[in-house]
Formats: sequence, C-alpha cells, structure tokens
Amino acid sequence: MPTLDPVALARLGALPIRARVIVEGALSGLHRARLHGSSVEFAEHKEYSPGDEIRHIDWKAYAKLDRYYVKQYEQESQLTTYLVLDASGSMEFAGGGLRKLEYAGTLLAALAYLVIQQQDKVGLRVFGDRAVDVLVPPRGKTSHLHDVLAVIDQVMAGGGRGDEPPAVALERIAELARRRRALIVLASDLFDPDDQVLGALRRLRAQKHDVVVLHTLDPHERTLPYEGLTLFEALESDHRMLANPAAIRREYLDKMEAFLARCATACADGGVDYHLLSTDRPFEAALLDVLTARARQRAPGGGDGGRAAPVDHATDAAAAPAGAPGRSRGR
Amino acid sequence: MSFLAPLMLVGLAGLLVPVVIHLIGRRRAKVVRFAALDFLLASKRKTARRLRLRERLLFLVRALVSLAIPLALAKPVTSCRTGGPQVTRGPQAAVLVIDDSFGAGYRLGGRTILAHEVEEARRILDQLGPEAEVAIVRASEASTNPGELSRDHLRLRDTLANLEPSARPADLNRALARAAQLLAGSSHRQHTVFLLSPVPAAALRAGEPPWGADGPALRVVDVRGDSPLPNRAVVHASVEPDPSTGSRGIAVTAEIANFGPDAIEGLGVSLRVAGRIVATGTVDLRPGERQPKRFLATLPPGKRAAEIDVELAGDALPIDDRRWLHTEVRDEVRVLLVDGDPRTTRHDDELFYLEAALRPGDRADSGTAVTTITADDLGDARLDDFDVVVLANVHALPAERVTVLERWVRAGGGLMVTLGDRTTAADYAKTMSPLLPQTLADPVDATWGATPDERASRALHLTKWDADHPIFAAFSADAPELRDASYTRAFLLGPTTDTTDRKVLARFTNGATALVEAMRGDGRILLYTSTIDRDWNDLAIHAGYLPLVQQAIRYLARKQQHRLDDDILVGRGVALPTLELTRLEVRAPEGKGAVFEGDRLAGRSVVRFLGTEHPGIYRVIGTDAAGGARERDELAFAVNLDPRGSDLTPADPTRLPPSGTGEGAGAEPGRRRVELWHAVAAGLLLLLLIESLLVVRS
Repeated sequence: MPTLDPVALARLGALPIRARVIVEGALSGLHRARLHGSSVEFAEHKEYSPGDEIRHIDWKAYAKLDRYYVKQYEQESQLTTYLVLDASGSMEFAGGGLRKLEYAGTLLAALAYLVIQQQDKVGLRVFGDRAVDVLVPPRGKTSHLHDVLAVIDQVMAGGGRGDEPPAVALERIAELARRRRALIVLASDLFDPDDQVLGALRRLRAQKHDVVVLHTLDPHERTLPYEGLTLFEALESDHRMLANPAAIRREYLDKMEAFLARCATACADGGVDYHLLSTDRPFEAALLDVLTARARQRAPGGGDGGRAAPVDHATDAAAAPAGAPGRSRGR
Repeated sequence: MSFLAPLMLVGLAGLLVPVVIHLIGRRRAKVVRFAALDFLLASKRKTARRLRLRERLLFLVRALVSLAIPLALAKPVTSCRTGGPQVTRGPQAAVLVIDDSFGAGYRLGGRTILAHEVEEARRILDQLGPEAEVAIVRASEASTNPGELSRDHLRLRDTLANLEPSARPADLNRALARAAQLLAGSSHRQHTVFLLSPVPAAALRAGEPPWGADGPALRVVDVRGDSPLPNRAVVHASVEPDPSTGSRGIAVTAEIANFGPDAIEGLGVSLRVAGRIVATGTVDLRPGERQPKRFLATLPPGKRAAEIDVELAGDALPIDDRRWLHTEVRDEVRVLLVDGDPRTTRHDDELFYLEAALRPGDRADSGTAVTTITADDLGDARLDDFDVVVLANVHALPAERVTVLERWVRAGGGLMVTLGDRTTAADYAKTMSPLLPQTLADPVDATWGATPDERASRALHLTKWDADHPIFAAFSADAPELRDASYTRAFLLGPTTDTTDRKVLARFTNGATALVEAMRGDGRILLYTSTIDRDWNDLAIHAGYLPLVQQAIRYLARKQQHRLDDDILVGRGVALPTLELTRLEVRAPEGKGAVFEGDRLAGRSVVRFLGTEHPGIYRVIGTDAAGGARERDELAFAVNLDPRGSDLTPADPTRLPPSGTGEGAGAEPGRRRVELWHAVAAGLLLLLLIESLLVVRS
C-alpha cells in the first residue's frame, strides 16, 4: 500500500481532500472496511446457502439441529460518532514534522469522512481553550461533513492553545450521548496533570459507549533527541527549564514510558480501544491500523466491547492483514 | 605572601571568563517549546540537586582554574618560621660545611647529629635548585675537601649519603676558610656558606676570620636547637709500672671529664686488661669538672704486654667513652753499669754496693738485669739492649762515645752519672757536657778537722729532697735512712740558667746539689754529685740506699718501658723503630694497615706511620732477617681521640665569622622563604582534571 508522508500530505490542499485521500488510501489496503460501532443486533437465523459468509454460521444451532444456519443482524439505529479533538497548547508541539494538532485533526477528518460515507452520524467536540466551546452536533448528511471538516481546518489553522483537560470535554460528550450508545473517538496527547482523562474514559465505557483513544505523540517526545544546553518552554504555561538534555534523558524517558504504560493499562482495563500514534507515521497506515485493530476486536472471538488490547501504532508499523471482516447490515 | 612576578596578576581578570562563559552559555541555550515539560520537570527535580551541585562545582572549578593560572605565573612566595636557614632558589654559589667530627656521632632523638645535618643538607640542596653551584666541605680536622664548586647535585647527594662521623675533632676555622676559598672562585654574585654543626667552642680558634663584611653570607644550622649536648668522656689515660703490686703491676690513671651542665654521681668506670674487666669504680663529677681515676692491676701471668682500656658507662656519644693504652712491662730493667774504678778487691770496687742493691741476694725476681763493663768496653756495648746506663766514676768519655750516648738518651734511654775521684770538672767540661744536667765545678771536701768528731760535724747530709718525685716517693718526710748518711765529698755544680729541662731533686745541708735531673729528648739523665760507693759517703750502708738506687733506676727506665704509651691522637703520625727488621706491617683496629718493606724500610732506623684514623690498638707484625714474622708487642701502640672534640659546649656566636653581604635579598632572619607556585601549579593540574571529569560526566 503506497503511503504519503504526513508532511507531504499536509501540503496536498484542503482538508476534505486530504481526508478523502487518507480514507481511500487506507481502504485500498482492505477488502472491506467499515468503522464499526456497537449498534448492530442479532435479528434471526437463515438456512445457509452458498454465498453466505461462513463466519456467520451458527455452530451451536448446527450442533443441535445438524443443519447449517446463518445468523442475520439488523441495524438498531444509525451509528453516532463523536470525534473529540484535543486542541490544547500541548498539541501545538511539532518536533520535526507535523504538529500533533494537525496530525490528530487530519486523522479525525479522515474518520469523519469515513463515517459520513457509511451514512452514519458524526459530531465534533474540540477542547483546549477554556474560553471557546467548539461543538458540532452529530449529523449524517454529506453536507455535514463539510461543516465538521471546516471546523477542524479552522482549529488546526488557529493552533493549539489553552490547558483545558480532556476529562472536561469527555464529560460534556457523556452528557450529550447519554441517551444512546455512541462511538467516541478521542485524539489527544493525554497530557493531563491530574490523570483524570483515564477516569473519564472509563466512565464513558461504563455508559456502554464505544471509546477509541488515538494517543497522539510526537517522536521527539518519546526520544528527547536534543543535545546541548537547552531552554525548554512549556506550551500550556509559563514554565521554563534550562537543562542539559543528556543529563536528564534517562529519567525523562523512564517517566514517558511509565506514562504510556499507565495509559495503555488503564485503557485496556477499562475496555477502551487505545491506539498510540506517532506523528511521523503515515495517516493511511495509522488509519488502517486503527480500523484493522477494531475489525479484529469485532470478529468472533475478538470480543465485542470486551477488553481491548492496547496498540502502539507508533512502533507497530506492520501492514494490516489482507482481509478484514466487514459488518453486515440488516438484510 | 608576595609575588616574584606580580605583573602576571593582571591575569586574574581571567576570573571573569567562567562567569561570562556561564552567562553566555545561558543566553546561547537552544530554546525548545516542549509539550511534555512536566515530565522534564519531574526528571530534573530528581536530578536537580545533583545537577545543581555539579554545575556549581563546575563553575567553581573553572573560576579556580582562572584564578590559579595567573597566580602560578606570578610565582607567589611566603615565609615561615623555621629552625633552618633561609634558602633562596636560583643561580648562586653555596658551600655546605658539614661537621663530620666524632662529636657529630652524638645521638640526638635516635639519630646522630650527622644524620640530622645530612637531612638538612639535602633539604638545602633541594631548595637551592639545580642552577646552584655547590660544594660540600667536611669540617673534621685534616679532612680532604673538594677543589671546586659543582652543579652535579647527584654526586653531591652521593657525597652526603656516604658521610660518616670521622674520629677527628672539628676544625671549623679551617673548614670555613676552605669554603671562602671555594666561593672566591665562583662567578655568581650570591655566595652563601651553610654551616651545619653544633658549633662547639673547642672547634673554633681565635684568629683572623676567613672573610670580611663583604664575604659570603653565613647561615648556621644547629640541629641541636636549644637542647644542650651533655657528654662525658675519658679524656686522658696513662699507665705506669706499679712495683708495689709486683713486677707485672701497673697503675692506670684515667682522666674523666663531664662536659655537661649537670652533675653526675656514681658514673661507672671500668678497667679492661687484655680484654677482661679487672677493675670497676665510680666517679662523681660536677658540671665541667675533670677528675682522675686511678686503678691498680697486674698484667695476666706470662704476659709482658697487654691492651688496656678504660671505659665509662655509655652516653649519647659512646666513641669517647673509651680510651686505649698499650703497655709493655719488662720482667727486668736492663741496666748497664760502667765501672770507672774497678778493683780486684770486691768490696773496694766502685759498683760493689750498687750491684748488690740492684740484685739483692742475687734473686732472679729482683726485676733488674745488671750488666757490668768497664769504661773501655763501652764502645762495644749495644746500648739498645739496655734501659739504663750508669756511668760510675768514669773518666771523661771521648766525644764520639758521648755523642752515641746522647743519641741513645734522646731516644728514650736513662742515664745516671755518679762522680768520684776519677772525674774532674775540667775533663768533663771538655766532652761530657751533653750528658750532664749541669757543668761540674770543683768538689767540696768536708773532711778537714783535727778530731774525728770535728770532721764528723762538718760532714754533709741529704736534705730538702723532692718528696713528690717518684724516686723519693717511698721515703717519709724526715727519712732518717737518708738523712743520717754522711757525705765527706761532693762535686759542686757550675751555674746554669736552664730551669725547664733540669730539676734539682735533692740537696745537701750546705745547699749544694746532691741529685739533679735533666730531660734529653725522650730520655732522662740523673747526676749524683758524690760517689755511688762508700768512698765519699756512707749512704751505701744506710737503709735508704737500696730503695733510693732501685727507684732511681726504675725511674730512669720508665721512659724506656713506656716509650709508646704517650697519648697518640687520631690522625697523628707514629715513629716506629725498625729494629733491623726487614718487614713491618701495621694493622689498624678496623683491619686496614700499612706495610713497610724494601726501600721504605732499608737503611732507616725509624719509619713513620700516618694511618691512625681510628682509635684503638694498632698491632705491628715484624719480620726479621731470618724471615721469622711475629707480633712485636714492643712496637704496638694505642691511638685515641683528641679530647677537644668531646666538649660540645656551644661557642659564643660572636666567635663565628660575620655573615657577609654575599646573599641577595632573602627572607627576614629566622624565617624561610617558601615558594608556593609549585603547589599552585599542582593544584591547577588537579582542577583541570576535575573539570574534565565533570564535563565528561555531565
């Protein structure tokens, strides 16, 4: 699957185009790919006939009746997806490539495109600047995609600022989606001094929402490659620190690894679908990784809404499997 | 503290360099806007204390480096109190005068004074530096010293390492004069003499100082500090026969001196004869006092010669606590009697009474071997075989025979001349004068008178004898055994002005001389102005005759017996008679020696041995013409220390030569300049090393 460098892709033009390029690039690597939500339910059995998917055969019925029956599902309702974009000051960081905000925004744009393509509803919540409340309610129309993408584009152009923690934004989403289950996709660096975001994610999951975390980090944040005396300035505060990176690199990396492990463990424990993304990873590959991982989870034996294994797409650059199970809509 | 190159302190401005570097470093720090600053802060908080410490340490080290470089270049110096001399480093001429006398063997704090002096000399050598021209002059008497100054400090150090206390006293005048000569030949402007010595008063003679006010600077290093150097020593010893304890009896007299400021009580003294302690005693000494200690002993049976030494209980300078003697006591005094009036009637013979007195009862243990000849046979006699010659009433001898006799006397022989009717003043005046203490005048005759009582009343008697003289020591103050003897005739003596080598031992009642003694070289002459038989007196039939003649003969023989018992001091030459031997080997106490043979011996009656460098007994092995070699006890001799070196009482500093202007500006007196820049440079290197480590680790 040919991929484009994120920086190169960022120069391609308007966000809708980029979103489409990303989605199509990702989908070209899949037989069928959908962004699965949790709103599909079992309808009835149908006797197997050639052409039906073998994986939908109900083996328990076969054991009882000695005949092949196929499970048929129907969509309970339209999938509602909330895209939550972290636009705080920390997302403005760019080590050598794209800003984290730009990467996360572009990836969410691609997801929005994908969701609209599935005729599902997608909404957007942007947090970071406490003074500005950006919320795009979920809609399923194609024209709504332009609204969502326009907001994302605007946020990316404005840059990240503010220090609003992700937990507050997620609480707001929880209120909005309290009536029906939804797919909530959070793209953030999860830099929360109080670690409340992990608790908020677990609460969303407890409300039966399908929660996906796209943990977006810059490679420099994971390696601290700086040399010589360096004056570090915080992006969300006035803190400054003069240090020799070589002297504190080991300590920093240990803390960063501990943070990542804590995030992954907390998400796995809470059933949150956790994906660690590096901003130097091609969008298509990153999107494909997310979709593939979710497809695996929804496959029989993969568990539906069960405990999700954390995935580090920043390091797991392996291509997705050739075939991913699709979701059959109600027939 | 001062600086030799203060201009270099301008470099202290470099102290600002690390400050500037620090500030510029902060300013030039790369700015990174970083999202995960909390993690950085947490990391830094953990290492902050260490990092801050390291940064401050680094800053401090760099500041110190900047401080140390100009400081080292400015060559800081300071001065400190010191017991040693002030020493200036650099090109100069210096002489280290080191006292290596036997007094420097005094143990002070577990080491000898010489060891302390060598240590100080090494330190001075270090401080003078390699550019200094230096000579080491030994201060012991007659020591050999270098002919020029040298920059070969390795050889100088070897010289110091090989220094040992000699057995001679110190002669500081000579050593300082030699130092001045050496410095006079140097082209350097700065001349210094370092005198490393306790500066004993006995080592400095009054006289012209070796240099004037423009001479070299004199720095005295007295390692004794303020502590006195108490010392006691046997400063003299002598031995003489002691007939009272038999023919092998000896009396040893040692003189013990206390050179310390404290009185000494019960100081142990022991006498060792032939290697065995035969007597011990104690002596009490006041500060600075000298006392004789007398021992009586006998030589071991069958021994004619023996090594004798007197030793004190040990002190800090043991070498002078012992003094050696070597004595040879003949079993017999060999006496040659020259009969000037032989008679066929035995009792009329001139020597009848004398022979009887010397060999009473003709006993073999009389201690005297008597040989009697006539005056005519004197020419054939071997005088060297005799200790004493008695010329009894002989005619005046020919001049050539007188010369032989005089030479023999001067070599240590004892001559007794008795007079009588065969002697005339005129004849004796012609040839015999060298053998007489005084010229003869006409004899006095006290025999005139009409009646025997009248004549008897005019007879002369002995009176006024020298009771302290060995000859008369055996007699009481009035001694009737002498006083009762009547003298009818006696020679009067001519006038003389000689009062040094001549001494009247006894006089007659008329004031005329009865017995007179004279010294001739190593020998003695006794002149008895009457007859030795009964012709002119009746002493021979008085009880005093026998002890008087025996004591006179022993007294005359004493010099012969103890020819080598004179105090021979270390470094002095010894005249050894060749005794017609073909080879003489002298063995010193430490094993070395000298051999005289061939041309060094042939045709000589005496050879001179100069290798007396150690105290102790020197043995002589003689080989005769027949090739027989044996140890010659009669030639062995003892060598002892010069007692002047035992007195370590410090000299008055004003007796030292003045310290001249030969030295450049030095530290103030009593203080020593210490150059600090070596330490600063070493510290600089250490700081650079620390800085490197800190940089590498950060």
